[in-house]
Amino acid sequence: MPRKPIIGWLALAAVLIVFPLVFTGAYYEQLAAFVILSAISASAWNLVGGYAGQVSVGHAVFFGVGAYMPLLFYKLWEASPLLGFPAGIVVSVLIAIVIGVPTFRLSGHYFSMATIAVAELIRILVSDWDFLGGAIGLMGPATPRGWWDLVYRSSVPYYYIFLAVLAVLLYITHRMERSRFGYYLRAIRAGERAARSLGVPVSRYKLYALMLSAGFTSLAGSLYAVKFGFVDPGSALGILVSVQMVVMAALGGAGRLLGPLLGAVILVPLQTTTNTFFGGAGTGLAFILYGGIIMLLSRFEPGGLLELWERFQARREARTARGRALLGAGEDHAA
Amino acid sequence: MLLRAESIRMAFGGFLAVADAGLEVAEGEIVGLIGPNGAGKTTFFNCLAGDLKPSGGRVLFDGADITLASPEAHAALGIARTFQVPATFDEMTILENVMVGAFLRHPREKEAREAARRTLALTGLERLAEHKAKSLGTPGRKRLGIARVMATEPRLVLLDEALAGLNPAEIQQAIELVRMIHRSGVTLVIVEHIMEVVLTLAERIVVLNQGRVIAEGRPKEIVNDPAVIDAYLGRSHARRAHQP
Repeated sequence: MPRKPIIGWLALAAVLIVFPLVFTGAYYEQLAAFVILSAISASAWNLVGGYAGQVSVGHAVFFGVGAYMPLLFYKLWEASPLLGFPAGIVVSVLIAIVIGVPTFRLSGHYFSMATIAVAELIRILVSDWDFLGGAIGLMGPATPRGWWDLVYRSSVPYYYIFLAVLAVLLYITHRMERSRFGYYLRAIRAGERAARSLGVPVSRYKLYALMLSAGFTSLAGSLYAVKFGFVDPGSALGILVSVQMVVMAALGGAGRLLGPLLGAVILVPLQTTTNTFFGGAGTGLAFILYGGIIMLLSRFEPGGLLELWERFQARREARTARGRALLGAGEDHAA
Repeated sequence: MLLRAESIRMAFGGFLAVADAGLEVAEGEIVGLIGPNGAGKTTFFNCLAGDLKPSGGRVLFDGADITLASPEAHAALGIARTFQVPATFDEMTILENVMVGAFLRHPREKEAREAARRTLALTGLERLAEHKAKSLGTPGRKRLGIARVMATEPRLVLLDEALAGLNPAEIQQAIELVRMIHRSGVTLVIVEHIMEVVLTLAERIVVLNQGRVIAEGRPKEIVNDPAVIDAYLGRSHARRAHQP
């Protein structure tokens, strides 16, 4: 832990703001925008999957709803995709309630499996639903009709929009960490029975966490849709979308404020590199990569990289404290 | 009566764990609930705490029927329980563990933190406030379990084997803690396997055997009750005890 956390925060913000100004070029700009977008969805997942410990592997549902809605608004009424953002959030939160009430009766792996089942079911349904473009998907406006279409040739404006959303999400998460809501979620993660005995309304709080998480995941989906101008069932509702959120959060540190961002910073470039290197076979490779990371994490470091780092820091501090004690042994021991 | 349980029955499939058990606890009392292994103590206890919904009978707290109320509703009403195997929140600090309890009466973080610190001072854990709960051994965990429960500011505390697994010195400290809680105005129901401890703490004792209350009274009366001696030690001991 840094002694003055505010300095750390300012440094982090400065790096993120300056990044696309330093690393110019379409490739880096697109990559940077995608890192931040992935950090948003993984941070949204973190609310329920990390803090509350309810490992959903079906968050693609919310991401997909968010991605389809703006483009559906455009297809039906030629409306601004922006109008689809709140609609996506509302629908996602409603779906969260419908899914959450029955699946939260399950615990551990059974909950995760139920969320996979629901997500895959919806992906298959959408693939066969012509209203939503079936397997082909939906397109957004090709050329901007006004600023409200959010169509930019460069990735940089998207990068800053994503960064602003991420900042809001992390601020809300940070506030949550310091509130009754945050403590209750961590208690639920640590032990539901004990939490209930202390007066924590477990089912209600799990549902709140899922609703909040679903809303932000949907927002991430909407941002994805306006950035790429195109969605199909595979890219918005596929299981890889859900798995990606889980792996990023878990790699950085699930249930930690900056865990998902760290995970995204490491994984997205890795994934993009393998994709460009191996072309079409890259998707399959991502599965293998994620599988490997899941295995390594659960075997060696379930707390993620941030916890590893904290342990390392603590050990170093202990060593320097011992060193200081040795040097100033005379005065210190007298006290 | 603060707590009144009337003819509680709890069946698991065909097995009747509690056949017919009742209990009355007055405000300010310490009541001990004892019985040999498998007597149905824990099941009965869980029915009182709201962790199990009894198959028959009812539980009244301060006159209100709470038989079917959830565990969190029990906590809100002022009935708190500890667990035999202390279910501490291992990845959270000791202070944070207690804060989870304190949030029940103090929704704001700052006030919950202050209330939790007061509880830690009272229970002698303040020195360890910033340590993770997983760093504690069994006695510490049991103490933390009690501190966490006290932070919910209960009127009635149900202690489930708070002393099991402790050595004599630790038992002595735990007894001091229980006495202190009682002095602060909290009513207690203690489930305990070790008879000596309950005898020194409780004013009144209820003995369960095979899911039924077989005796009730002051500690002195209980130790001489033939039915109790029979239940614990067998018939031959009961006869011997009553030979002049």
